[in-house]
Amino acid sequence: MGDLLTVENLTISFRTDEGLITPVQDVSFSVQKGRTLGLVGESGSGKSVSTKAVMRLLPGSAVIAPDTRMHYTAKDGQRVEVEKLDPRSRAIRRLRGGEIGMIFQEPMASFSPVYTIGNQMIEAIRLHREPNKRQAREIAIAMLERVGLSDPATRIDQYPHEMSGGMRQRAMIALALSAGPALLIADEPTTALDVTIQAQVLDLMRELQRDLGMGMIFITHDLGVIAQIAQDVAVMYLGTIVERGPTAEVIRDPKHPYTQGLLAAIPSLDRLNARMTPVPGDIPSPTERPTGCPFHTRCVHAIAGLCSARTPREIAPEPGRAVRCWLHDEAGRSAA
Amino acid sequence: MLRFTAERFVGMIVTMLLVSLMVFIIMELPPGDYADRYAFRKYSGTGVSVTEADIQAIRVELGLDKPMLLRYFDWIGNIVLHGDFGQAFAFETSVTKVIGDKALLTTAILFGTLIITYLVSIPIGIYAAVKRASFADYGLTTFSYLGLALPNFLLALILLYFANRWFNADIGGLFSAEMKDAPWSLAKAGDLIAHLWLPAIVLAWSAVAYQLQTVRATMSDELNKLSVTAARARGVPETKLLIKYPARLAINPVVSTIGFDVNRIFSELPIVAVVLGLTELGELLLRAYLDLDMYVAGAILLLLTFMIVFMNFISDILLAWLDPRIKLGG
Ligand SMILES: Nc1ncnc2c1ncn2[C@@H]1O[C@H](COP(=O)(O)OP(=O)(O)O)[C@@H](O)[C@H]1O
Ligand SMILES: [Mg+2]
Repeated sequence: MGDLLTVENLTISFRTDEGLITPVQDVSFSVQKGRTLGLVGESGSGKSVSTKAVMRLLPGSAVIAPDTRMHYTAKDGQRVEVEKLDPRSRAIRRLRGGEIGMIFQEPMASFSPVYTIGNQMIEAIRLHREPNKRQAREIAIAMLERVGLSDPATRIDQYPHEMSGGMRQRAMIALALSAGPALLIADEPTTALDVTIQAQVLDLMRELQRDLGMGMIFITHDLGVIAQIAQDVAVMYLGTIVERGPTAEVIRDPKHPYTQGLLAAIPSLDRLNARMTPVPGDIPSPTERPTGCPFHTRCVHAIAGLCSARTPREIAPEPGRAVRCWLHDEAGRSAA
Repeated sequence: MLRFTAERFVGMIVTMLLVSLMVFIIMELPPGDYADRYAFRKYSGTGVSVTEADIQAIRVELGLDKPMLLRYFDWIGNIVLHGDFGQAFAFETSVTKVIGDKALLTTAILFGTLIITYLVSIPIGIYAAVKRASFADYGLTTFSYLGLALPNFLLALILLYFANRWFNADIGGLFSAEMKDAPWSLAKAGDLIAHLWLPAIVLAWSAVAYQLQTVRATMSDELNKLSVTAARARGVPETKLLIKYPARLAINPVVSTIGFDVNRIFSELPIVAVVLGLTELGELLLRAYLDLDMYVAGAILLLLTFMIVFMNFISDILLAWLDPRIKLGG
C-alpha cells in the first residue's frame, strides 16, 4: 500500500472580471494504491476544479496558491511534485493519461466527434504504452472487450455518435484505461446515464479498479453512490473538505452537520424523489463565500459568534478520521 | 467517402448542365442577334444595300436560324465532346483562341488569391484564439477590422505606389513588357508569379480579414470543448492537440464558404483589374456581351460559373473529410 497521491493545502483562485474568486480553499486529501476515494459534494463545491488541478488542466486564469503541495508517486516509484511542474512540460504530459487517467461526466462530449473511438484510443496507447500501431490496436480492442462492448473489433472503428450513451461511457472508460494509468479520476461518470445503466457502469468501474489494482478518485454528488464504490470518502462543501475518513465509518457515524444532512437525504425505497436538496437552504455562490465556517449559514448547530467569524481547523476526532467543525474542536473553542 | 464523392460529383454535373442552360438563355436575351451586327460591320461603307434576305443568309451560315433548344445542344455538345466553344464572331477566330490565355490568367489569380487567403487567415485566426485576450490577439483583431474597412481598389493603388517606389518594380499587369508576348516557358511562369502576388494580395485582403475573424471565433469555441480537455488529459502534446482536435473543426466554416470566396473574387476582379492594368475575363465578358458576341460571352460565363460550382464541390468533399458526421448523416 502507500500513498499514490497526496494533496495538501490546495487553494485555487480564478482571475475573473468580477475580481479574484477562490472556489477551492485549503483542501487536503490522499489516495492510496488500490483504493477508491469518493469525493462528494453539491454541484459547484469545487470537486472538478480540484481534480483538474492535480492534472494541471486549469485554464490560464487559475492561480494555484504557493503553499499547495501535490505529490504523486509514479509507477516507477519516483515522487513527482506536481505543483512545481510546468503545465506545458513533457513531465506533466507523461503524468496525464499514462499515470493518471480521467473520465468525465458527458461521454459524448469527451470524445472528439470527428475521429473514431479507435483513433483516440490508439493515440493514447502509442503515447504511453506501445508505439507500434498494430499492437496498440490489439491493446485497444482487448480493452474495449474488457469493458464489456460486444464485437470490439467492429466497434473500434465506429464514431462516438454511432454508439448509445451507456456504450459510449464504457468506451470512455476503455479509452482512459488503455494508456495504463495507476490512478483513475472519474468525474461524475454515471451522472448523465439513466439508472439501470448507471448501476452497470458502477459495477464495471468497481471491478476494473479492483482487478487492475488502480487507485481511483470517484467524484459524485450522491453519497449513496459513494457507499457502493469508495473505501474512503471526502465530503466537500463550498471549496473545503469538511469531513473525510473511511466510508463505512463516516456513514455509520457522520461528524459534520453537513455530512449528517447529506446522509439523511439519501432516498430510501419509499421516498423515490432523488436529487432533493440535502440540507435546507441554498449553497452560496463562491463569490459570496461566508466568513468563518462556510457551512454556518445553513448549519442548525452553528455556534453564535464563533462559526460565522472563525474558520475551523481540521482535527481528528478519532484515528483515521478528520473533520472541520467547531463542534468537535473543544480545545480550539476554548482557546478562541 | 468514395460513395459520397461519387454522389456529389453527379450532383455537380447536373448543376453544371442546368447552369449551362441558364447561361444559354442569358445569351439569347438581348434583342437582335449577331447576324445584324455582322451585316452592318461587313457592308457598312461599301455602298452595298443589305436586304433582310442577306441577313437571313448570314444567319443560316452562322447557324443562328435553328431553334434555340437545338442550338443549345449543338453548343454544349461541342463544348463537352470537342472542347470547342464555338466561333468568336467579332474576332473571326475560335472562342478558345480569344479567351484561352485570359482564362488561364484569371484562374491563376483566383487560386493565388485563395491560397493567400487561407494560408494567412487560418493560422493567424487559430493563433489569435489560442492567445485569446493577449496583446497579439487585440493587435490582429484591430488589423483585421482595418482590412474589412479598406476598399480594395484603394489598397491596389497604395500597393502599386509602394511597389513602384520601393522595389522600382513595374508591377502593373501580369507580365513584364518583354515577357508579355513571349511563348509560355518556365521564365514566363516565374514572371507571372512575380506579378501575381499584387492582385492576389489585393483580392485576398478583405477575405483574410473576414475569415480570420471566423476562424478565431470558431476556434475559441472549439478550445472550450470538453473533448479538447479530455485529449489534453490523455497527454497529447499541445501543438498536435490543437491541430488534431479544435483546429480541424474550426476551419469548417471557412471551407464551407470557399464557393462564396470564389464568387466574391470574380465580382471584385474587374475593378482591381482596371486599376492594376490586368487582362482578365470579366472585362472581355462585358465587351462581348455588349457586342452580342454570344459565344464569347457564353464561354466566359460558363467558365466562371463552372469554376464556382466546381469549387463548391471541392468544398463539400473537404467538409465531409473534415467532419465525417456530414456524410454519415446522409
Ligand atoms: N474557469 C473558471 N473561471 C472562474 N471560476 C471558475 C472556473 N471554473 C470553475 N470555477 C468556479 O469554481 C467553482 C467550482 O466548480 P467545479 O469544480 O466545477 O464544481 P463541482 O465540480 O463541484 O460541481 C464554480 O462554482 C465556479 O464558480
Ligand atoms: Mg463537476
